[in-house]
Amino acid sequence: MKKSKMIVALLIALMMVFTVVLSACNKDKHTHTFAQEWSSNSTYHWHKATCEHTSEVSDRGTHELDGNNVCKVCGRNSSLDEYRSYISADLGDIKNAIGSVSTTVDAAVNEAYNAGLEAIQSANTVSAIKSAYDNAKSAMVHCVPLASGIYDYTGLSQAGKTEILGLLESYAVRTGLTGVSLFENGSYVMYNPRVTLGTENYITGYGFGVLSEGAITADLTYEQTQAWKRYYHSLNSQDPGGMNTLNDKGSETDDFYSYVAASYYTVFMNATKDGYDWVPELAAGEVEPVGALNESGQTNHWRFEIRQGLKYSTLGKYANEYNDLEVQPEDFITPFKLLLNQGNNYYRGTSLANSTGASTIAGAKTYYNATAGKRKGILTEEEQKFEDVVGVKVVKEGDKWYFDYTLGANVTAWYARYYISSSLYMPIPASFIEKVGVDAYLGFTTNGSDSPVDNTLSLGAYTLERWDSNQQIVYKKNTNYVYSDSKYSIEGVHINIVPGTLTNPNLAFEEYLAGHIDAASIPQDYLEEYANKPETRRTTGNNVFKLNMNALNAQDWDYFFGANGSITQTPTSKRWVVEPAMSNAHFRSALSFALNRNEFGVNIGRVSTVNYFSSNYMSDPENGIAYNTTEAHKRAISGLINDDTDENGYSLELARDYFRMAIQELEAEGLYTRGTPQNPTKIQIEIAWQTPSNEEQYHKYVKQYWEDAFNDVSVTGGCYQLEVVFWVGNSWDDVYYNKMMVGQFDVAFGSISGNSQDPLGFMEVLSANQTISGDMTLNWAVDTNDPYADVLVYNGLLWSYDALHQSTQQATKVVGGKLVQYIAPDNAGFEFDQDRENLLTTITIDVADGVVIDEITFLLYGVLGGDDYMNVLDVIGDPVAGNGTLTYSLSISVEELLTLDPGYFADYTSILVYVSYHVPADNIEVEDLLLKQYSVEIASSYGLSTVVENDDSFTVSVDMKLTKGVTIDDIYFTFEGYTEDLDWGYVLLEDFDVTEGEGYITITFTVSKSALEESGISGEVVPHPTQQGKFVDLSGYQSLYAYVVLDDAGEVEFNTAYWNMVLVQPAPVQAE
Amino acid sequence: MWKYIAKRILLALLTAFIILSLTFILIKLLPVQRFLGTTEQRTAYYENEVRLGYLYSSDAEIDGIDYADKITYDDGSVKYYYKTPVMQQYFNWLGNIVTKWDWGKSVEIKPNVDVTVIIGERIGTSMKLNIISVIFSVPIGIALGIWAALKKNSLTDHIISTIVMVFIALPGFVLITFLMLMLCYRNAILPSQWPNPTDPTSRKVLGYILPVFCLSFSSICGYCRFVRAELCEVMESEYLLLARTKGLTRGQAIVRHALKNAMVPIFPSIIAEFLSIMGGSMILEGLYGIPGIGDLFIKSMSASAPDYSVLFVDMAIFTTFGLLAGVLLDMSYGFIDPRIRMGAR
Repeated sequence: MKKSKMIVALLIALMMVFTVVLSACNKDKHTHTFAQEWSSNSTYHWHKATCEHTSEVSDRGTHELDGNNVCKVCGRNSSLDEYRSYISADLGDIKNAIGSVSTTVDAAVNEAYNAGLEAIQSANTVSAIKSAYDNAKSAMVHCVPLASGIYDYTGLSQAGKTEILGLLESYAVRTGLTGVSLFENGSYVMYNPRVTLGTENYITGYGFGVLSEGAITADLTYEQTQAWKRYYHSLNSQDPGGMNTLNDKGSETDDFYSYVAASYYTVFMNATKDGYDWVPELAAGEVEPVGALNESGQTNHWRFEIRQGLKYSTLGKYANEYNDLEVQPEDFITPFKLLLNQGNNYYRGTSLANSTGASTIAGAKTYYNATAGKRKGILTEEEQKFEDVVGVKVVKEGDKWYFDYTLGANVTAWYARYYISSSLYMPIPASFIEKVGVDAYLGFTTNGSDSPVDNTLSLGAYTLERWDSNQQIVYKKNTNYVYSDSKYSIEGVHINIVPGTLTNPNLAFEEYLAGHIDAASIPQDYLEEYANKPETRRTTGNNVFKLNMNALNAQDWDYFFGANGSITQTPTSKRWVVEPAMSNAHFRSALSFALNRNEFGVNIGRVSTVNYFSSNYMSDPENGIAYNTTEAHKRAISGLINDDTDENGYSLELARDYFRMAIQELEAEGLYTRGTPQNPTKIQIEIAWQTPSNEEQYHKYVKQYWEDAFNDVSVTGGCYQLEVVFWVGNSWDDVYYNKMMVGQFDVAFGSISGNSQDPLGFMEVLSANQTISGDMTLNWAVDTNDPYADVLVYNGLLWSYDALHQSTQQATKVVGGKLVQYIAPDNAGFEFDQDRENLLTTITIDVADGVVIDEITFLLYGVLGGDDYMNVLDVIGDPVAGNGTLTYSLSISVEELLTLDPGYFADYTSILVYVSYHVPADNIEVEDLLLKQYSVEIASSYGLSTVVENDDSFTVSVDMKLTKGVTIDDIYFTFEGYTEDLDWGYVLLEDFDVTEGEGYITITFTVSKSALEESGISGEVVPHPTQQGKFVDLSGYQSLYAYVVLDDAGEVEFNTAYWNMVLVQPAPVQAE
Repeated sequence: MWKYIAKRILLALLTAFIILSLTFILIKLLPVQRFLGTTEQRTAYYENEVRLGYLYSSDAEIDGIDYADKITYDDGSVKYYYKTPVMQQYFNWLGNIVTKWDWGKSVEIKPNVDVTVIIGERIGTSMKLNIISVIFSVPIGIALGIWAALKKNSLTDHIISTIVMVFIALPGFVLITFLMLMLCYRNAILPSQWPNPTDPTSRKVLGYILPVFCLSFSSICGYCRFVRAELCEVMESEYLLLARTKGLTRGQAIVRHALKNAMVPIFPSIIAEFLSIMGGSMILEGLYGIPGIGDLFIKSMSASAPDYSVLFVDMAIFTTFGLLAGVLLDMSYGFIDPRIRMGAR
């Protein structure tokens, strides 16, 4: 049979079968009826049956979408479905954030949640859906009771603190306070095969243990000095010019100093080579509390045994005297005296004195303040009391020596060890400091004759061997080092100075490839070729660089930064025009999803991360638990990483979905009007970069990621266009000061690093309250003291961010979920009245409800002869219940001020106001310093000028303001200079007329050449070489001070403030 | 003559003074470098600035003056830091120089060390390098110029002229970057950085090759072009034709007459080229790790850690050299060409 005939026969057979089947179905002869209107789901549309066969549909088909995501057939807006779906999920996130509180609350929350879902499903417009969400969220959050009372979570376990940290991070991620993380500053590093690493796996916060546990197994051919061939060779871009880390603000000097430095405790790699252990270095045992621990296992008073037999090492010119010299007990105190003497002008000393919290040493500030004007060097006990003031001492018990110290706050043993283990506190003999001089210690002498090799003593793993300025710095293994036998087997370290690496990012790697150094990071241009070589290792970083966000809407921006802003007051002409899209949470989420961090990290040779903290932040440092590995953190970033994203939060699809949602919301709010594909509405976002190289390296990627995601036709059909532009400041920190800190930005690149052992404390930088953040707020999104700004539930209570965070740092008053200060000074001023007969002050205090003020004490405070002096001016003792603002006034007669005992009024430098109060409801009593102000001057100068009269004399005029009743006993003035031979000289004046002042007066007196000469000052009056007139040659002196001795009022100083000592006629000089 | 020289030197010094004063004032007018860090770190930084006399502090905001920065403390108190008036800083600085020859101490590059000491340590290296470059470039440049002139419009002339045009447009720092890559890194023929004091003499000698070559290359090209142009002009002059017609050989005419006259404008240009080399060494020193005053100049202007005392002394050196070289240049005309008389009425 032919093939075609067979097919025909088969078709006929099939038709017969269908006919039979259809006949059977149609036996009821029913015709379905269908609705006119369309039914639909997110994929299909259809007509529902209106007969009893409700499962029947007709005209079922997939949606045919137009440019606005509306089906051309059924008219369904698909975006609305998508929006409903996402917004419902958002509501679920809120429910999860609230968690389980109590049976009643949970039920109420569930009810509000379900009602919200229902409302969302039934709403038919974006604004209606958003409104339903907002209402439901508000209803759910309002079910949770607000925190109110005194809370102190400082004593929580590490696990408890980690839980709070996770909640705070979660809040910050949702509200946009964390910005968008870009990368961690880890990198790819290559090591010369001659170097055996301590471990092949990088240990966060420790490294590969190259020097401490590593070894070098072959010579470096390029090195020409035979003794250095087995030294570890590295390079640095610049010579730090010394390594006095005690007087340095950067970290570079620390790096150079670290080779010769030792501390009480240090860290070495653990046995399993996957972490590190703390071990005593200069100490001989573990820290132990002095006295009892509190219930949290904390105290501020600790001690440990000092290791005996320690010896200094030096290869410099004082080797005969100091090399192998045994460390004496008093040497352990010397670094504190060195740091805290204001006369030494040590940067780290000022820093230590001004630090607060547990890391500071008790009494440091007091000693520091008391040393104002003292000589340089190590002050003796006679010159300035130290022992009873500063909380460090060395005590002997039997044949053991103990280092006894008091920190600024109670801490556990782990932190007691951590805070004292600073190489700044390495012992040093006072005689060595006196010999080399404070300014030259660890550096060069002024005339350059002695180098750091001469001016350094080592107790660390290496000793400084050679310092050729701007060329090489060499260290040799220190055989006196405590762990010299078991650690640091590498014979030395050679650091070549290669300034070209500052301008050429590839130079260091070229030096490595040429075999000149032992290790180098792989720069961007070489990644493809070298990233997968066997010598290449991966490191993690210590900082996450972020794109910080200005998520404020126009109204909130004005609140913080407007003409009357609470943070800064911006002139109208400089008002920042907020890009409305940035305040939309979905838009910000989309920006995060759109960043392909994995690809970006590979391209720039950095570690990709979506985390807020870098890998080295430890939530439990005692047990070596990094915060990023905790469940609390994983929960916090669950909004950034999910099944649809890669491990670093990238999903182009999600980014586009979120952009789509954001635009719908923004349109619904009336913030944007949809354009057309021919004339799209532009959204412009400016990214502020720190440096041109940042812009060059990173901007193109971020711009591409964001624009590609947003400008895809699926997002707005081309009706909107995102444009990402850049800004770069003149200086790298402009992005902080001129952009982020003053709200003048959309997105800005930057980072702040904190104490990696205390990430919870570091969360303070996210507060919108700059007193809490220390002026370091970079991201702006919400009022962090508003408990309803988002959801922050802890212990079944609703908190503001500031309230919960502060309660982990100190006992905190919280009212209605907000952080509340019981009392706060609002305004205060001290001044003499018009006639200068009375000292007046008015102080305004903000007082919280329920606070009862018991007493306000006004004190004069000063330091006389090294001792603190206080003099009570007045006490206001009437108890006052507080509820708002209270104002107190005080008037003290000058007569009273002139009869002070002890001292004179002018001896007191400050006026202190103490306040005692109690809060019955909270059952607390407090006595605290309310404010401190510099004392008013009983006499003050506002001008000091000189005129050369003739060859033998010149006149000095002092304009001053005197308090009534004050009489002048003497006037003398000093010429102050800082030459080696002469520190200062003075001339006592007897030739003046005015003895009693009242208000503004001018005293003019004549200084004769003979008076100058009698005082040992060569005051030649000579013609000026280029100008008319004459001048007095006072070579060697830099400042002129006039001292006016007042009867019964002490000595008042009039300072010309670094006035040029060449007195040119006419040369009036205004004092401050 | 001597009066003229003295007058020129005094004028040069006065010009240097004005330049330095303006530089000081303009640099000090720059916004204060603000410091990022914790409250205590910032306090320490600014208090140090106060001690150095760059800033002064106040517990209250001063009306009408913009503060450089402010610090908010935990107790809510605020400290404001203001820039010390520029003229006050200027007179202080000038006073120290005039009365004590005190140019200040370094605060960043070599903390605590007198800036004159720092300059003293580095100036020798820079001078040595620049002088060697001049010695290297003059004979080669002149020889090439003569060769090109003598072979005017020949293939040799075209090749030399083309090479000169190409390389005269190539800055020294571009050339050294390329040559470092080729001769130091890809092929380890020369040291990749300026040798250390502990390196053997052979490496120290090799260390001069790259910077000297790169510093002098532009000069060689300049001399070559200049000599060629001058010599070509002289060669076409009538007196040279006369010399030939009087029976001198071509060589005799060139050596005795052409070269001598062509050199009149060329020798003074050596001084100008020396200055040009000094300027070029600023960037090149940094790239090759040469511890000289050129690199110091760039470092002292670093935005993150400026060292103004060093900068001003370094600038004084460069300015004074430049101005005195101008004086020397003017005077050299008189010595080379007796027809030129300086200061004569």
